[in-house]
Amino acid sequence: MSIATLEEIQSFLFKEADAADESRFDDWFALWASDGDILYWVPAGSDNVDPKKQISIVYDDRSGIDDRVFRFKSKAAHALRPPPRMRRILGNVVIESESDTSVKVRANMILAEVRRGTQDVLNGRVIYDLVRENGELRMVGKKVLLINNNEYIDNLSFLM
Amino acid sequence: MNQKLAGVPLEKHEDYSELVQRDRVHGAIYSSQAVFEAELTNIFHRAWLCVGHEAEIPNPGDFRVTHMGKQSVIMVRGHDNVVRVVMNRCRHRAVTVTETDTGNQKRFSCPYHGWTYDNTGALLSVPDQGGYGSEFRLEDNGLTPAPRTDFYRGFVFASLAASGPTLLEHLGLAASYIDLFLDVSPTGEIDVRAGVNKTFFKANWKFVGMDGYHPNYVHKTVYDTRRRKAPAGVTDSAKGETFSDEAGNFARDLGNGHAMLDVYPVRSRDYDQYLKRMAKTPDWNEYYKSMVAAYGQERADEILVWAGDPHIGIFPNLQLIGSQIRLIRPTAADRTEVLMFLTTLKNVPDSINEMRIRNHESFYGPASQGSPDDVEIFERTQIGLSADINPWVLLARGLEREVVAEDGSICGGITDETTQRGQLKQWKKMMGEAK
Repeated sequence: MSIATLEEIQSFLFKEADAADESRFDDWFALWASDGDILYWVPAGSDNVDPKKQISIVYDDRSGIDDRVFRFKSKAAHALRPPPRMRRILGNVVIESESDTSVKVRANMILAEVRRGTQDVLNGRVIYDLVRENGELRMVGKKVLLINNNEYIDNLSFLM
Repeated sequence: MNQKLAGVPLEKHEDYSELVQRDRVHGAIYSSQAVFEAELTNIFHRAWLCVGHEAEIPNPGDFRVTHMGKQSVIMVRGHDNVVRVVMNRCRHRAVTVTETDTGNQKRFSCPYHGWTYDNTGALLSVPDQGGYGSEFRLEDNGLTPAPRTDFYRGFVFASLAASGPTLLEHLGLAASYIDLFLDVSPTGEIDVRAGVNKTFFKANWKFVGMDGYHPNYVHKTVYDTRRRKAPAGVTDSAKGETFSDEAGNFARDLGNGHAMLDVYPVRSRDYDQYLKRMAKTPDWNEYYKSMVAAYGQERADEILVWAGDPHIGIFPNLQLIGSQIRLIRPTAADRTEVLMFLTTLKNVPDSINEMRIRNHESFYGPASQGSPDDVEIFERTQIGLSADINPWVLLARGLEREVVAEDGSICGGITDETTQRGQLKQWKKMMGEAK
């Protein structure tokens, strides 16, 4: 059994990407399941770390995401003033596994971010855990595996 | 009186120490590549630098490649269990002898002509050794060690100068705060294998850390976020009351360029509130009891008032802030690399360490609430320095109210620039006395 077709999943991922790229933080937060545990995770050092024993670049539960959105919307968040301009391409979208209630999807990402005269390009794989809530697809997990997560890294003050 | 330096090309100043005055510094100390090159020679290739901590490399053969100033070095634990700092350079034609940043190796082989060293740095073999003649001896051609290496409670320090103050002389008043950082473990031991934030920014290395005037402005979003949660029992110090003149905290110049933000006063006022909050977190009571059993009630409470966080900068490249060992490496006048190693505690419940990890992530690292705004301000400072018609940067805050404390440190209010003056006093000394 599937909860969604690949086509519906892709349009959800593109909607999520647009909300992140356009700094529409509340719209982005609304794409997460409204109930239960959620996790926005960007590992540090390698793709396979035990988050209970290793630091991550981002390891946000619901309260952490809520704080992040609060901060990003604040005029006092200097690293986002002026805000970055961003666009990302998602590709190689593959359904990794699915059940009656959830689906795990992976995609590759190229993300360009421009701020204060510098354009940075980030590359990585994104793994989404999706469920259906009130008929709509929603995220319960988003894990971003940056290919430079073990390198010296510049500010990442935006939604990856 | 200081106007004589304004507008004069920096190359004309042979004595860089003129750039640091009592109440101000010339912006060129942050922006000039010539000054940066002189810093490498006079400070980074001469002073005691922290290379890392032994707990990063617990097993024989474990190593990490790092830099001392410009120089690539390997911190490695030998098969004899001794930690050494050796140059990452084959004695033959200078090729680096390892291509990975960290790992475990019995041997370090040069990929160019196969010269092979063991993990103590000793040269084991040279292909077709006979070609070098009968005088050639393997034992004369090991990997070159740092001229001096010494240890303080597992912290590995090295100096590229063959002589100078001893490590203990250099650490001075800072040593007891290293103790504090480690003794938040009931056995005084840390682990340094919980990952590292590797970050860089496009600004000068001397901007990093030890400013008690900035948090309420640069980190306003952090305190706003915590205040939202205040009903859940966040302490006053966590909400940012720490960094105001009213708080009664201190900015301290410990001598030799070491400086700290001493928040003991507000944290001791907060301590009962803090303990009540922590008592609700998993395994805290077990941890607290083990601390009291290890150190006695008085010392245990003293350590825990600090939460094992001395917030200290040890000149020139080590800072102990929160739960992290922070190593600073300048790569140019306007580019700096910072490593933040999260430390975990030995002999405590896992949940205590997990809390350290989550607390660290929230404030530090490239996507956290704290570090990115610091980096943003450093980079904007670097841009601002280019406007050098009036090149002076003011560091006068608190000059008239700082006092000499009993331990000999110079003590200002938490928002005072006592810390920066202390750091730059050592900078001036080292830049002025060496050639």
